[in-house]
Amino acid sequence: MSLDGAGTTGVTNGDDTGPSDPTPAASGTTGSLVLPEPGARRRSPVESQLGLRARITLGFTLGALVLSTVIGAATITLTRRSLLAERERRTIERTAENAATLEGQLRNQAVDADLNPVVSDIPAQGPQFLMLRNQPASGEREVRTFFTGDVEEADLPQSLVTRAVWDAKPAVMRIEAGQTLYSAVGIPLPESGGAYFELNAIDDISSAVQSQAIILILVGSVATLAGTALGWWASRRALRPLIMVGEAAGRIAEGHLETRLNAADYAEDPELGPLVSSFNGMVANLQHRIDRDAQFASDVSHELRSPLTTINASVDVLARAADQLPERPRKALDLLESDLVRFTQLVEDLLEISRFDAGAVRLELDEVNLMGLVRRAVSDIADGDLPVVADDALDSELMELDKVRVVRILANFIDNADKYGGGADRVEVVADDHTVAIAVIDSGPGVPPDERELIFERFSRGVQGGRRGAGSGVGLGLALVAEHARLMGGRVEVTDRPDGKEGARFALELPKVPPAAGLRVVEL
Amino acid sequence: MSTRILTVEDDERIRTAVKLALEDEGWEVVEADTGEAAIEAFRSQPTDVVLIDIMLPGVDGFEVCRAVRRQSDVPIIMVTARADTHDVVAGLEAGADDYLTKPFVPKELSARIRALLRRVRSGDSVLHRLRFGDLELIPDEGVVTVAGEPIHLTKTEFRLLVELASSPGRIFSREDLLEQVWGHGYLADSRLVDVHVRRLRTKVEADPGNPRHVLTVRGLGYKLAS
Repeated sequence: MSLDGAGTTGVTNGDDTGPSDPTPAASGTTGSLVLPEPGARRRSPVESQLGLRARITLGFTLGALVLSTVIGAATITLTRRSLLAERERRTIERTAENAATLEGQLRNQAVDADLNPVVSDIPAQGPQFLMLRNQPASGEREVRTFFTGDVEEADLPQSLVTRAVWDAKPAVMRIEAGQTLYSAVGIPLPESGGAYFELNAIDDISSAVQSQAIILILVGSVATLAGTALGWWASRRALRPLIMVGEAAGRIAEGHLETRLNAADYAEDPELGPLVSSFNGMVANLQHRIDRDAQFASDVSHELRSPLTTINASVDVLARAADQLPERPRKALDLLESDLVRFTQLVEDLLEISRFDAGAVRLELDEVNLMGLVRRAVSDIADGDLPVVADDALDSELMELDKVRVVRILANFIDNADKYGGGADRVEVVADDHTVAIAVIDSGPGVPPDERELIFERFSRGVQGGRRGAGSGVGLGLALVAEHARLMGGRVEVTDRPDGKEGARFALELPKVPPAAGLRVVEL
Repeated sequence: MSTRILTVEDDERIRTAVKLALEDEGWEVVEADTGEAAIEAFRSQPTDVVLIDIMLPGVDGFEVCRAVRRQSDVPIIMVTARADTHDVVAGLEAGADDYLTKPFVPKELSARIRALLRRVRSGDSVLHRLRFGDLELIPDEGVVTVAGEPIHLTKTEFRLLVELASSPGRIFSREDLLEQVWGHGYLADSRLVDVHVRRLRTKVEADPGNPRHVLTVRGLGYKLAS
């Protein structure tokens, strides 16, 4: 892509894949396959507006059109030329024969006889002229002309007459007389001192050529259409691997890392074979690295479980004996206890998130009464003093939910409001035709717009760092919340309070119809 | 005589710490570091609850579970690394009553143990003797007969059956059963209920694939046919 394309890159990519690519997901990934090339040639306007497939098809169409036009024009020209040549050859032959016959008959005629009947006795297929030279005293050139047919003497071009009559050489010329095209042949009559002319209409050749031209135009149009079809088909064939690569990349981007192109299909192909194998190699490497990272996180958390179990049990034993301890060790024990809770939670979050990374999570869907679940969860989490606001119509709303995940998200929102938002004000549930939103509203300082996406990142310490106090949570909670929401086909977002007061609104939006359960069942 | 708990765990540190914590609850703790030792210890002395770590070298936790279950209806709690693997279902199928995942806190463990040790609610006059077709229940005596033949249920299976029988025909949601039978919260793993119902059916139903007593109500839960 050239530098000036920066502003239109998105449009260009979209159009490139648009017409030929059925999956919307792939168009984005195809874009990423187009590596920016410094100094790449500028795309012409046609290229940037049409998709690759349209361009190939257009090329085929234009090619077929040019080819059929050239062939047609050549055919017509050659046909016309050869028909005319043949007709002229025959006319010359016949005129020469007739000239010989006429010469014979002229020997018996008086010098000043009316030769028109003689001329008309000669069988001809068109107008005939007999021109005999006079030798007047003045020396001027004069001829006596006898003729049949509806062509005037004046229609004969002077050059033809001069050549045949005065130069005594055979002459051929195409002339037009009275809307008709003729082939005019002049044969000199050496004995009589003049020339005999015959005209043969060649209009029929033009009309024959014309009807042939019509046929050729039709054939040419069909050939052009065939070219278009061929181009469409060929571009589809040629682009199929590219579309496949795009679709595969799209699936990989969605997390289906096991996706591969079928290498066997292209093993023999010198151009596509290496592309397919290097694509598959790239994905295998990617999958290997992701698996390794996920395995590492999982192994680390796994290794932490055993010592944590020991520490939890030991601290529990210590805590039971806390009142027997002097004040200083008791304070240390308090610290140990509270941070152990945090640490245990962190390890569990880390394990959970590594399961997400490995794709080893699945939805556990149950049909539940939405408001029943929310009210119960809220009263459990917030000890019953947090109001739940919802439309009465929602009381009978039954939804297929992964209730553990929903409650974890809700608990996290409420916990978050306690830590950073001065405590939750209320929980509200709103629904439209397709989605349900469960929101926790606080009256804290709110979240600045530029941090609203960041806080759902892992360990987004920078964002909340300033507001961290004693006993604050770890930075995985909201990241997990986002993962849970994504798994359920929903999303989480944070906005300002809808009523304009200071505070934040953390919302979980869920589709009323959940994605297919058990879509990603992987054992880790 | 105090309650005796057998803990099977190959990690000595965990074993010792758990023993200390459980002893603080006033229970007597017997330790075993291998599956073989656990089976031997279970044979040689009366035990009230068995706590088994699934990941054991040699004879694994599932095998210990099955060996204990062959001899006794004593409550078994298994400890797994992860809740979302097939280990949980496999452990429940092997005869475990409940499970915990590491890292657990001792309060949670002792709550589970107490729930499993709870006696079946009795003294309720309605529950003296109940008949459902060929199935007969005497909750106070802990006796269940099918077609006059006494059958053997684990304590948890028995409590599950009694709970369903306390209100024949009523639909119990999985959440209800988790709270009443296991003492769990409403978010607990409903596979506990499903696996136990399946096991109960193999004992009380003539054709477990086509149950006539313990019925599934799709999307809602279970009920006992009245």
